[in-house]
Amino acid sequence: MNAAPLVAIRGLQKRFGAGPLVLDGINLEVGQGEFVSFIGPSGCGKSTLLRLIAGLTSASDGLITVDGTPPEKAREKMFFVFQDATLMPWRRVAENVELPLLLRGDAPGHRRERVAQMLEVVGLSGAAEKFPWQLSGGMRMRVSIARALTVAPEILLLDEPFGALDEMTRDRLNEDLLAIRSRNSFTGFFVTHSVAEAVFLSSRIVVLGVNPGRVTAVIDVPFPYPRQSELRETPAFLRLLATTAHALRAVRS
Amino acid sequence: MSPSLRSRLAAYLLPAATAAALIVLWYVLKAVFQVPSFVLPAPHEILVAAWEERSFLWPAALVTVRGALLGFSAAVGVGFLLAMALGFSPRVKASLYPLILVLQMMPVTILAPIFVLWLGQGLPSIVAITFMIGFFPVVANTTMGFISVDRNLRELFVMCNATRAQEARYLRIPGAMPYFLTGMKIAGTLAPIGAIVGDFLAGSAQGGVGGIGYMTISYFSQLKTPALFATGLVACVMGFVFVGGVNWLHWRLLHLWHDSMVKKE
Repeated sequence: MNAAPLVAIRGLQKRFGAGPLVLDGINLEVGQGEFVSFIGPSGCGKSTLLRLIAGLTSASDGLITVDGTPPEKAREKMFFVFQDATLMPWRRVAENVELPLLLRGDAPGHRRERVAQMLEVVGLSGAAEKFPWQLSGGMRMRVSIARALTVAPEILLLDEPFGALDEMTRDRLNEDLLAIRSRNSFTGFFVTHSVAEAVFLSSRIVVLGVNPGRVTAVIDVPFPYPRQSELRETPAFLRLLATTAHALRAVRS
Repeated sequence: MSPSLRSRLAAYLLPAATAAALIVLWYVLKAVFQVPSFVLPAPHEILVAAWEERSFLWPAALVTVRGALLGFSAAVGVGFLLAMALGFSPRVKASLYPLILVLQMMPVTILAPIFVLWLGQGLPSIVAITFMIGFFPVVANTTMGFISVDRNLRELFVMCNATRAQEARYLRIPGAMPYFLTGMKIAGTLAPIGAIVGDFLAGSAQGGVGGIGYMTISYFSQLKTPALFATGLVACVMGFVFVGGVNWLHWRLLHLWHDSMVKKE
């Protein structure tokens, strides 16, 4: 294990304006290649924590470093997948996926090649010329993930990306996300409400409590990658599901 | 006959039938009350007058179209740039928007003589009046468009380390397009009216050719009522051509992606 963690959070506090503390006393170190889920009741600040790591909002106190620098300086190493797909309705699927490369100033030939690759990775090669409104919610989310992958981020931050999808689509996308990760290795941060999703995807689950948001439990998930859908039916998986659900309930009471 | 074809036919037939009925009513009332033609000409008299006066009406229509086009283009261009300044900087918006409102509250009938004082009778004043009528809807709508950018999309651009110019080009301007086009539609409806009013208030027959507004005054003073009605007809046609053009542009730019245009099964 490398000595320096990829993401280090020390004594983090966050409040908005003069409001109450949203996050308090957060300490966390995440190494390269981990997949960490934040889970907790509404209002525990898990999305805020993700946005802090992304540098989209700044800490009120404490320290966050990404690869040894402040998050705002490490953006080219990271990408963010939003809760809704956040596509531009006037750009076709391929043009949406292309956007980060376009903004970065990559050459057109390279952009085309990379977009085609990423659309294939998410299984949407046939939809390149479609507009977002012509896609289902699950397909739109795939486009969003393909867009994030174009820049080959070291760190992928996902803010409840599958929250609005039905369970079958969500399970399917969970499996696909892990399959993608086995090829395009990235360190993952994942915000979710779903215990099953957290256990299936993560190497580590961070349970957050409310008022203010703080870490109440950290659960290691020992199952090796690659994980297949059958994992969900094993007794060990179900036991860990119960443990995590218990930890989450303890927060609520 | 398929239901869709029937509904499409109805869309044309119903207004045509209504128009025919009104024209019949027009003739009946004129005959029953024996209204003289200098008060209310019959529809065919208007068409005849339009034909007989064509050597005056056609050049007049061209003059008005020129005024309307120039004023409309200025309203759209200046409106867009101004909206960009207002939409991109809250400080500019705070300091400028109330003043634009004040300007908008000023009735054109008061502005017209001022323009004539400054610019003289004729095209420059007409263009200025058309501009004044058209530019506010463009500014108000487009500013709204620049302001209402999806928050997540903006953060996406932040994550990409996008420059302000990139954000403008790839996010704000395309995002504001539907709003801009709505403002343009309103300005397009108002432009021919603005040009005619401008012509009416500040027009001149310099070089022998006045606009439609000028012709209106001329026919009115000569009590050539059928020709006076004919100028109304010309104004209507002009308005439709203008709105048709803007609608076409609207369709062209939005039909592939915007919610208002795409057909969802």
